[in-house]
Amino acid sequence: MGAFIKKDLLVFWRDRKEILMALLLPILIIVILNFAFSGLFKDEKAMQIDISVVQEDDVKKGMEQFAAAVEAKGLSSEEKSAVLAEADKLDPVQLIHDFLNSSDLKEWVTVKDFSEKEAAEQVKNGELDAIIKIPEGFTFESLSHVLLGETSQGSVTILAEEESAGVSTLQEVVHSFINTVNTQFALGSKGVQATAEPILPKGGKEVVEGNDGADAYTISQYFTIAIGTLFALFMAQTVSLKTMTEKREQVFNRILLTNSHPLSFLIGKTVSAFILSILQFAITLTVVQLLLNVFPDKSFTFWAGLMVVLIAFALTVGGLSALFTALTLHLSDTNAASGISTLVIMGFGVLGGSFFPLEGLPEPIQKIGEWTPNGLTQTALIEWVQYSHFNDLLFPISFLMGVFIICFAISVSIFPKRGRS
Amino acid sequence: MLETVKLTKSFKDKKVVDEINLYLQTGESVGLLGPNGAGKSTTISMIASLIKPTSGDVKLNGKSTIQNPSDLRKMLGVVPQEIALYEELSAYENLKFFGKAYRVEKETLEVRIQEVLDMVGLKDRQKELIKTFSGGMKRRINIAAALLHNPKILILDEPTVGIDPQSRNHILETVRELNQTQGTTVLYTSHYMEEVEQLCNRVYIMDHGKIIATGSKEELLSILSSEDTIGVQLSKRSEAFTDKIKTLPDVLQVEQTSEGLRIMAKKNHHLLSSLVHAAEKEGIQIMNYKVEIPSLEDVFLHLTGKTLRD
Repeated sequence: MGAFIKKDLLVFWRDRKEILMALLLPILIIVILNFAFSGLFKDEKAMQIDISVVQEDDVKKGMEQFAAAVEAKGLSSEEKSAVLAEADKLDPVQLIHDFLNSSDLKEWVTVKDFSEKEAAEQVKNGELDAIIKIPEGFTFESLSHVLLGETSQGSVTILAEEESAGVSTLQEVVHSFINTVNTQFALGSKGVQATAEPILPKGGKEVVEGNDGADAYTISQYFTIAIGTLFALFMAQTVSLKTMTEKREQVFNRILLTNSHPLSFLIGKTVSAFILSILQFAITLTVVQLLLNVFPDKSFTFWAGLMVVLIAFALTVGGLSALFTALTLHLSDTNAASGISTLVIMGFGVLGGSFFPLEGLPEPIQKIGEWTPNGLTQTALIEWVQYSHFNDLLFPISFLMGVFIICFAISVSIFPKRGRS
Repeated sequence: MLETVKLTKSFKDKKVVDEINLYLQTGESVGLLGPNGAGKSTTISMIASLIKPTSGDVKLNGKSTIQNPSDLRKMLGVVPQEIALYEELSAYENLKFFGKAYRVEKETLEVRIQEVLDMVGLKDRQKELIKTFSGGMKRRINIAAALLHNPKILILDEPTVGIDPQSRNHILETVRELNQTQGTTVLYTSHYMEEVEQLCNRVYIMDHGKIIATGSKEELLSILSSEDTIGVQLSKRSEAFTDKIKTLPDVLQVEQTSEGLRIMAKKNHHLLSSLVHAAEKEGIQIMNYKVEIPSLEDVFLHLTGKTLRD
């Protein structure tokens, strides 16, 4: 058995092209994607914008209007005082000011004080990028909308002389903020979570997940996990494809004539694919971690959990490799076997979200993707990055081991019997 | 020792091997000759237990090997036509892998590897990768890999195809030594008649999946005892002249060669005067005229109507 494993590992090691493909390519792709995406949002000069806030609304008058509206609603005295107390805490105009001056936006947004006329001139001259206009009646409209469920007419507008990436981003960020505030307060008013904090968008650099205590995971972490998983999956095909050459050049027949147990060959392929996929993923992770510090300040437990998932995934890769190997020997047309394995791997890659995130795809496809070995591994690892709950790993690990057992059992059943080619 | 009984193989109703009976006695060297597509490789694959026959049997010392080929495999060394080696591994690594696969004892394997490397003359190149070897060197290692477990029977399927004369001689010497010194039983297939003539005591001639002749070299040559082969060197080639020769009374077969013609004619023929006369008429000069001693190639031509490399 050891001779078969050693042989497969040596054959792989001596194939420089395969080594480059398996080890360098994923690292290169992760680094490029990381720089491409991080660079887009890290370019502070490009994203540095100057704005001025023009407030046409009279907050005090708006509050009085809202109190009158509450009075006219015919609510009980207890309900009235509760709504008015909520309105006192919630000053929509102040919320916008606070948001624009928050630490998250301060890095790329500078708020300058100008009168409306001055601001308009500054925009025209190009000294200011945009004006954020809070229209008259904004306080009243906003409070009526979030606390009384009335339809709202007033909204914040952003005026700019030129459309730019910075202005578009600001527009998205402000609207997203207002929507979040509305949603959170709507939820709060129904008693779901009265103290809910609105989640503030952070400007796109980071994928923000989890309002339930989870750590956010970065886009670099996503790429590292997705690309690493995909390339480890490829290892199943890489190892099994060598069988085509062994069959074509009669090496497999020569092995059969040695009277070795036929399964030694199959187990050799399985174990080689298992070892190579672990090594491949581990090397990719180590190099990317050293280069980009993708998982900063993570504990030993985190890395141990990650390794456990990788081992389970590598077992599945070994199982798939066994299946493709048996298929290559079972079918008279080796090209057909190669086509089937390519189809399976690419199918898993696409459905499992290794090429692109599945969030935009219909839910049934997302569900299918979660049941692919790579999709499940990816989800398990991302959840491990976020929550580090060992219990969450039990199902994926059991599932991956199940896939390995099924693949290996099928491989044994279709492997050439009695050692005949 | 090893025999086939009515060995037959069909692929999609086409008989590739048709009820072949052949045998190998301990220590003898037997040739299996046939043109491309004659069914030699399929026959060898069935004897070696790699392909299951459609019907018939392969027997080792009277016992069928079809259901349980393991006893046969222990005694058998097969050198396939292809270079059945790992190109990315060195000669030594290949031999070590196959030696372990043959379950050669760890202590004896190292010694055995050096012995077979010595036998094929590549001991000093053992650390080099197979992919850096010439075709001839690869074929020599291909043979070495089949010898690791000291097989009693060695089957070689065209082991000298496409290699340099030096490697070819080395391979022939190795096979001869194995057969004569170590008593290894050899079944040798080749396109090169002179190799079979040189190495084998007995020959089977195969065509269209059947054995069409068998016997020792002398027995096969006696098939041609009633015929002469004449080599004629001509000043130029002429289809008309060739056609005319074919119509002469004692001529059995005419084949064009690079130098002129090769004619098979009845013994005690009187061809020379007719040839000279026909040549004069066509304006051709006869440069040389030689009655050749018949070879197995002539026997093959006589039996199949084609040369081995057709």
